[in-house]
Amino acid sequence: MKNARLLIALLTLVLVGGCNNDGPKESGMALIQTTNPSAVTLNKHTREESDLIEAIETDIEGFKELYDVAVVKGKKDILVAYKVKHLQRFRMKQIEKKVVKHLEDKYPNENFTVSSDYKIFLEAVELEKNMKNPNYSPKKAEDKLQEIIKLQKELT
Amino acid sequence: MGNNNQTQKEKQYQSLEKKYETKRPVLKNCLKAFLVGGLFCLVGQAITYFYIYFFNFTEQTAGNPTVATMVFISMLLTGFGVYDHIGQFAGAGSAVPVTGFGNAVISAAIEHRTEGFVLGVGGNMFKLAGSVILFGVFSAFIVALIKTLLIQWGVI
Repeated sequence: MKNARLLIALLTLVLVGGCNNDGPKESGMALIQTTNPSAVTLNKHTREESDLIEAIETDIEGFKELYDVAVVKGKKDILVAYKVKHLQRFRMKQIEKKVVKHLEDKYPNENFTVSSDYKIFLEAVELEKNMKNPNYSPKKAEDKLQEIIKLQKELT
Repeated sequence: MGNNNQTQKEKQYQSLEKKYETKRPVLKNCLKAFLVGGLFCLVGQAITYFYIYFFNFTEQTAGNPTVATMVFISMLLTGFGVYDHIGQFAGAGSAVPVTGFGNAVISAAIEHRTEGFVLGVGGNMFKLAGSVILFGVFSAFIVALIKTLLIQWGVI
């Protein structure tokens, strides 16, 4: 019995410890806390662009079922990630539909990727943090964005 | 056999039996099953977040490795003899979640080990769990078939 406990403890330690090094470090507590990340553009930093994404962010924040919105704009795609309030999570699909419809009606020329997934949100926050670093190249950022969008499309 | 066919004596016996039979504490059992089953789910949720946080899994895809891990853990616990005690205490709370599946496989394997590895362990390991797999796969097949047909016909 005692041996068994020890073995379990060791196993969990190995399992958990082994994967410790490649986790996201900077986005830290975004899974649990409200972070309210600011909207970012990856390529052009013109006035027009930043106005556009700011407008999108305030739009999405207007939905009372959600909190914590992250907006990232790449070359062509705009990634919108949000967290749904816990009791509203039963209606997650409907809310997503509503958000997509609202966005596409209001900004018909843009290409949106909308997600309520925690992972997508986490990655978006990490990307936003990375963008503050001046050494982080736009090319790398765009690649990362495409990677996130690919992740969002994955189903199995 | 309906109640109408019972003789006077049978009825008498049944009322007597009812008087002496120990009452099943249904409500208490339900409560225990609810709490312990909920605890399992809590662990499962923690593992899901672990996979989301440290690996490239979204909420959509993190379910698969989580199930595998939970089954693995319950297999270990069965082997060490811990799961029996949990099962005795919680009843359905420990049998209905996917952890009960791991328990069914391993306990059968342990039970028949004396009969040899091929005819004993191999032949009996899936006696109980095999039907679970069979029904799961088959019903999934049927549901997928119906869904595919409906999509092909353009109903959904």
